Amino acid sequence: MAPELQSAGYRAVEVLAGKLRRRQVVGSREAALETVLVLRQVVSRAQFSNITQLVAIIRDVGRRLSEAQPKEHTVGNIVRKVLHNIREEYNTATQGTALGTSSVRNVYSISKFVLQGQPRKHHVAPKSEATASLKENDPNDPDSFARGIKPVLMEAIQDVLDELETVYDNVSKNARDHIHSDEIILTIGHSKTVEAFLKAAAHNRNFTVIVAETGPSYSGHEMARSLSAAGISTFLVPDSSIFAIMSRVNKVLLGAHAILANGGMFAICGSLLAASAARAHSTPVVVCAGQFKLTPLWNLYHEYGALDFADPSSVLGFEEGDLVDKVDVVNPYYDYVGPELVDVLITNDGDHPPSSVYRLIKESYDDEDHEF
Amino acid sequence: MSQMGQNSSQDIYCTFERLLEDEQLSPPLAAILALTELIVSSNAGTMFELVEALKAGAEVLKKRSSNPISLNAGCELFIAFVTLFPHESDSFSELKTELVHQGRRYAAEAISFRDKIAESTLGFIKDDSVILTHSYSRVVMKALLHAHSTKRISVYVTEARPRGLGLKTYEALTAAGIPCTVVLDSAVAYVMDQVDFVLVGSEAVVESGGLINAVGSNQIAIIAKATNKPFYALAESYKFHRLFPLSQYDLPTHNADILSLPSLPQRGSSANTTSSSPASRITDGLPSSKPTVPSAHPTMTAEQIARNPRVDYTRPDLISLVFSDVGTLTPEGVSQYLVGMFAG
Repeated sequence: MAPELQSAGYRAVEVLAGKLRRRQVVGSREAALETVLVLRQVVSRAQFSNITQLVAIIRDVGRRLSEAQPKEHTVGNIVRKVLHNIREEYNTATQGTALGTSSVRNVYSISKFVLQGQPRKHHVAPKSEATASLKENDPNDPDSFARGIKPVLMEAIQDVLDELETVYDNVSKNARDHIHSDEIILTIGHSKTVEAFLKAAAHNRNFTVIVAETGPSYSGHEMARSLSAAGISTFLVPDSSIFAIMSRVNKVLLGAHAILANGGMFAICGSLLAASAARAHSTPVVVCAGQFKLTPLWNLYHEYGALDFADPSSVLGFEEGDLVDKVDVVNPYYDYVGPELVDVLITNDGDHPPSSVYRLIKESYDDEDHEF
Repeated sequence: MSQMGQNSSQDIYCTFERLLEDEQLSPPLAAILALTELIVSSNAGTMFELVEALKAGAEVLKKRSSNPISLNAGCELFIAFVTLFPHESDSFSELKTELVHQGRRYAAEAISFRDKIAESTLGFIKDDSVILTHSYSRVVMKALLHAHSTKRISVYVTEARPRGLGLKTYEALTAAGIPCTVVLDSAVAYVMDQVDFVLVGSEAVVESGGLINAVGSNQIAIIAKATNKPFYALAESYKFHRLFPLSQYDLPTHNADILSLPSLPQRGSSANTTSSSPASRITDGLPSSKPTVPSAHPTMTAEQIARNPRVDYTRPDLISLVFSDVGTLTPEGVSQYLVGMFAG
């Protein structure tokens, strides 16, 4: 019996859900930004008298949005991140007040021991600005809890927003350490993160970039244009020559659409080709992605539909006439690249091998939020 | 003192055997319950004495059991829990009662772990999947039966000699209406191309992320890797064990007898050792007095079987995922839980 969303917040959710459904929101970062803004509205207008109600409201929003566009994983990730931050803020705020020491003993069991490891002494650091006045479910003043905790929650959401806005800067922070002078880098598609990374490195280093066309969307053309405008020496090559030139390439730089819990990723179609060619030549494959792309879901790559099929007319148009009748045309938008093909993940929060992705996910999200 | 020691060691093993009669309880859970019984009957006055008694009890169980690895995992988990339990109780007997209560509660909860694992496995089983499994495992059975209620699956199960537990799986699955065929252990490579993925249970999951399971699992994993099929291990969290084997011969179950070659008599000695059938073994040069009866299916003798290992170790790079009640884990993720429990 969660209190109804305030109508304004609810409307914002519906508007975003509609946009997602009609694919008017393009790009994982844009989707993430829109989601944070909607969540900020929802939380600021929400009415709740304890934390469970607030969590239920946010999970409901998350469910609505991810059902609107299940292939856009960053929407769900942002909701999970916000929930995690909110729970953390709530726990710090109520430390030492409601939870008495007597409950500690009863709560500690063997299964908790397995999940959380050895018991740590609670460091009850008394907060100077005493939020000890937080009282849940106050029958006289049901809004007191919400009023008391909302400023902290808005801060938490602002943190997420700040992280999103500075993603490109943070990923490119150490670009010059990853790219050496006179290196030849191969990239495909038009990933904004990779673009920012290469442009940042170009400030300090001279290198060459080979961009693959990336049919049938030909987003490689955009990328090559943008990089050469920034003064980077760029070559544009057709996808078929990726394997042929791989022996001359020092590094392969890829962008990702979503990074899965096992360390694998969804990336634009053609990434699997580049990564396999790189593996055959023992060339390092580097993936640049923000941490908001980390998805705590596991078996998406078993679903053929997760590849998100795009319009087949860009592969075989209707002008072919007869052929269209006799041929089944598929145009998958994404490839699944397994964790064994990727060497390192450069994120806005440091560089990690794909085998540590599970730890990053554990730190950023809570287990109960994996499914809304 | 030694008399009492002997009695208690006899007691704990009897309790353990009695608990094992319950089909639902696996050895590690039975071990935890046996140790809680020990706490009840112990007259230790301090924590130190209690932990010593528990360790002694665990030793007894390990020595007398034929397959101590999973049992060991359960014992270590419980003893670590007892040692680290934050005690705010006023008297020692109250603490003991609390520990016994926690132990029993965990064993009761642990029965539900298999359901949790079955649920998370369900997401990876597609309709019309062909699954290969090895030997008999309660958690795999639960997962397969759970999947059968909503999807169509077919199962190949290996015979899993010498214990032949694969036949037990076959009966149970056929009774439930799942199309099932028994596969010879030697025919796994033959059948692997038709299989969608491999699902096995576990004796223990070790710190390296590797798997200890009935002998034959390593073989299946290697074949699965060679044919690019996923290999999934199902393990409840009480089977996480703090071993780090570097090879098959690092396992505690390995001893010098296993797969040792016999010492044959010097060549040219007068013993008329006939090696007509390759299965016959020469014992110290004694001539085989009975003529070898050519039977239709020569079978291994009990002695020969005893020279073979019961469990083997599968490397983590051959395992795709470990499904456990604490979540779906990559093999690297298992060590995180072990470190949390036992290190620091």
